Amino acid sequence: MTVKVVVACGSGVATSQTVASKVNRMLKADKIDAEVEAVDLKSVDRHLKDAAAYITIIRDKKEYDLPVIDGIAFLTGAGQQQQYAKLIEAIKNYKAV
Amino acid sequence: MDFSQASAWIQEFLNSVGAAVFVPVIMIIMGLVVRMKPKDAISSGILLGVAFSGMSMLINYMSGLIQPVGEAMLNRIGIDLPIMDGGWTTMAAIAWSWPFAILVFPLMIGINIIMLMANKTETFNADLWNVWGKIFTAIGVVGITGSVPLAFIIAAIQIVFELKTADLFKDEINELTGIPGVTCTHKMVFLSAIFYPIDKVLRKIPALNHKADAAALKEKVGIFAENHVLGFIIGCLFGILGGYDIPAILTLGVQAAMCLTLFPVISKYFMEALSPISEAVSDYMHAKFSNRQLVVGLDWPFLGGSNEIWLTVIYAIPITVLFSFILPGNQILPFAGIVNIAVAVPAYLVTRGNLPRMLILATIGVPIFLYVGTAFAPFVSDLARQTGAVDLAANALISCSCIDGPVFTFAFAEFLDILNGNFLPLVVLVIWIAGFFYTYRDLKKQAKLAKSPADVE
Repeated sequence: MTVKVVVACGSGVATSQTVASKVNRMLKADKIDAEVEAVDLKSVDRHLKDAAAYITIIRDKKEYDLPVIDGIAFLTGAGQQQQYAKLIEAIKNYKAV
Repeated sequence: MDFSQASAWIQEFLNSVGAAVFVPVIMIIMGLVVRMKPKDAISSGILLGVAFSGMSMLINYMSGLIQPVGEAMLNRIGIDLPIMDGGWTTMAAIAWSWPFAILVFPLMIGINIIMLMANKTETFNADLWNVWGKIFTAIGVVGITGSVPLAFIIAAIQIVFELKTADLFKDEINELTGIPGVTCTHKMVFLSAIFYPIDKVLRKIPALNHKADAAALKEKVGIFAENHVLGFIIGCLFGILGGYDIPAILTLGVQAAMCLTLFPVISKYFMEALSPISEAVSDYMHAKFSNRQLVVGLDWPFLGGSNEIWLTVIYAIPITVLFSFILPGNQILPFAGIVNIAVAVPAYLVTRGNLPRMLILATIGVPIFLYVGTAFAPFVSDLARQTGAVDLAANALISCSCIDGPVFTFAFAEFLDILNGNFLPLVVLVIWIAGFFYTYRDLKKQAKLAKSPADVE
């Protein structure tokens, strides 16, 4: 089954979709069966229920019970490889459960 | 083929096929130029066509809801607001449908490279999605002057101001978000040139300086900002004001909820289609300036962790509806643009997240958005009809109640209207520039003051 990963931004249109498209291409190239979905920050909690990881572009103090990946890395390029590795780890762990 | 022939040919082609075909064709060519695989370029191109057609369908559907209820409200309580509010997603679709839109990409990248090399900026603007903000101002210029070269000059000026504004707020953004090395290059920050001087006055009122518990408040009211809930409430409100019966009110509520839910869903395809090009450019820029520490300019949402922004946005919703009904001269009926981030983000930056002052600034700001939305309706509607970007009835008017950086956009897009004897945009332009330089100098002065004690240590 395709694993779901969520990325959120203000409207679920531009920034989140930029990250989603980029990560989806990376996952496809690595033949990893997961799909990144861009959603709206205002309703992100609803989308996190069945997701393997949450790629966030904001820094908030909220605690999440799933792995959180820093999405800014995919926008600026700095630290992108680490965050991508962390994401793959999260997807593998999710599949294992 | 010379330029006039070429542009005549383009015009003819455009008239016969519309934006949903024309823009994807350009997009595929662009994709091949930046060395995308033909398969991927074609896929992106078709997706872009899907985005345009989807948007057109949705706006057609929205007109079917909003125009009758608008008329009903007019007949029943005399509220005459004939301009439909398509929100920023519609403005983006219309902007991308401009035949010269794609040329703003190289313009923006070129100016950014020149300014980086001349050390006139530290910012690399990686936000290629919001190229549409430059396009939008440019088509305003074309609407006034009919001149494409002039439009590009104004777009270039906007690009320079965006980079300078991003430089100006970078330390503060770093401090507020805790994210290093990024800033916000979005046009919406321009409103801070108006908000900052006002906020300087508000800071003198001690009662406004207490800290509100924004997180707890947002938990309570956050649900009203979810698109489907908000759409339902607005739809029902319009239905009630239009004197509909209860089944019709509820039906309109659900249909309006559907519109607000689907706008971002369809807009997403624009972004998805454009992302390979934006990535290619981003990679190129990183490679070119790999020896230098650049501040990366991003779209606003990385600031979206602030509860104060969301509370201000939610507060602005009823304020916008109220003002739209009572402000003399406003003709726009707020709908798809009602979630107005563009009023909240500059208020957040100038007040550094002080909620009471943000709410006052939003109250001052909302009428500006309504008036600018009203002023832009004729040329936005004309362009939409010309390019076929959206499906619009013959006399219908469309605009947006949340045009980013409204004062700047209005002033720079329309100041050349002075040639037709209209002084107002030029006056607004002078006010904005004065506000910008005041803000610039004051923030620089404070940055210096903040730094000097550290130097002594």
